[in-house]
Parts: sequence; C-alpha cells; structure tokens
Amino acid sequence: MLSDAELVARVTGFDDQAAFQVLVERHQAAVRGFLHRLLAGDHGTADDLAQETFLTAYRKLGTLKSGERLVSWLHSIAYRQFLQHLRKHERQRVMAEPPEPGHDPRAAMDAEYLAPRLLAEASPPERACLTLAYAAGMSHAEVSEITGLPVGTVKSHITRGKQKLQNWLERHDHSLSTPTLPKQESHRA
Amino acid sequence: MPETPLDDTLQRLLAYPPEASGESERFVVGVMKRVQRERRRRRIVLATCGSVGALFGLAGASLLAGPVENLFTDVLTPERLMQAALLVAAAAAFHTWLMGDDLPLRG
Repeated sequence: MLSDAELVARVTGFDDQAAFQVLVERHQAAVRGFLHRLLAGDHGTADDLAQETFLTAYRKLGTLKSGERLVSWLHSIAYRQFLQHLRKHERQRVMAEPPEPGHDPRAAMDAEYLAPRLLAEASPPERACLTLAYAAGMSHAEVSEITGLPVGTVKSHITRGKQKLQNWLERHDHSLSTPTLPKQESHRA
Repeated sequence: MPETPLDDTLQRLLAYPPEASGESERFVVGVMKRVQRERRRRRIVLATCGSVGALFGLAGASLLAGPVENLFTDVLTPERLMQAALLVAAAAAFHTWLMGDDLPLRG
C-alpha cells in the first residue's frame, strides 16, 4: 500500500487523479467526522465543507511541506473552512435541531443524539479542541498545529469545554459512569 | 487514554459516527467529480489565455513585419542568409554530437 507521501508526490508530480482518489478514500471519514462534530449535527453542511476541504487540498497539495502529516494538514483546512462558514453565517447559530416531540433524552442515551447537543454548549474553538482530542485522539501539540492556537490555549479550551459538557450532562441527569452504549472506535489519525 | 469517568464518557459520546453503507462512496464520487470540473476549468482558462496571447502575438507580428523587413533587407542578402543557415545547421550538428549521451538517437 502506498504511503500518503508517495500518493501526494504522484498527484503533485503527474496530476494522478487515481492517487488523489485514494487519498480522499483514506481520509474522508476523519475529515467528515470532524466537521460533523464541529457543526453539531448539521450533516449536510458538514459534507459540503468536507468536499470543499478536499478540493482546496487538491489545489494546494503542492504547498504541503515535506514531513508535514497529511491528516493534520487536511484537518487544518477543514477547521478553516468551518471558521469561514461561521463568519458567513454569523447570525445563525450552528447547533443541533431541537429534539422531536415525545423524544425522551434519558431513554435515548445515544451518542448521535447527545453529541450535537453536548457540543452546542461549547464555543467553536472549544468544540474543535474537544473533538480533535477525544474523537480523533490527537495530542495537544497536534491540536495546536491544526487550530493554530498555542498549546496553552488548547489546554484551557479543553478544560473549559469539558466543564461545560459536564454541567450539561449533570443538568440532564446523565450519569458519567454508566456507559449504556457500546464503545465506538474513534478515528485515529 | 481516558483518565476520569468524564473523559471516558466524552470519548464515547464524541467518537465519530459509523458511516452508513454507500455514504462514503457517494462522498468520494462527489469530490472526484468536483476535481474533474476543476481540471476542466483550468484547461479552459489556459486555452483561453493561450489563444488570446497567440492572437495578440499574431497581430503584433503582422504589425511589425513591415518595419522589420525594411530593417534587415540590406543586411540579410540571400548569400548571407545561406551562410547563416549553414552556420546554424553546423552548430546544431556539433551540439547533437557533443550531447549525444542525452539524446535518444538509437531506437
């Protein structure tokens, strides 16, 4: 199996579309998952931004520095797409749709139900830092590289975000120690 | 690695959702279609700019053809033109011989 660096060399050197397709197939789950979390449940917009992310990556692949990890670079493009989207839609709050009538949140201790509501509590940078740290399993240094924030700021975003999410979980009576869902495998870079 | 029950809960709740079958294929197809559109757009821009450049070049050449011809009429007599052509051919032959290793002369 060809490495990311080899595929990137094929795309930049010979405009090899098949190589680029392999890169998209390999990294789409991580990029889309990240944007789904950042957009707190707005899957349509998340997929649009993910497409835009890969198109930008195709245009700028030549600027990827040797030794730089492609997955981090893609995440940083995705994060910038998200910030741009926020600026464009400043007046609209990016958050999950309200729960359907009759839907009991306690009965549905469902990650897909809870995650968007949980993340809507956090600010966009907190959301990004929490998602990269918990869902993508990245280190503080990697999160800092992707978001362009200093490591100290990343740590404080994660601490503050965690506090907000804990408050939300407590307010909604969700026990922290009772895992009711089978543990999902996180998309590690 | 999770250190507290909160870390554990967050890792579980924030984990990326499993993908519905066919969704990722659709996504990849969508991206590649956009990439092809982008390539087409680039080719159109290049062809348009190239054609405009060539048109301007032709127009310039036709405008300058008269003055240039007047300038060289006295200098480039048929004899000198022949000598210049011979010199160029000789230089090209010498270059080919000198750089023989780099040229695919065989096969």
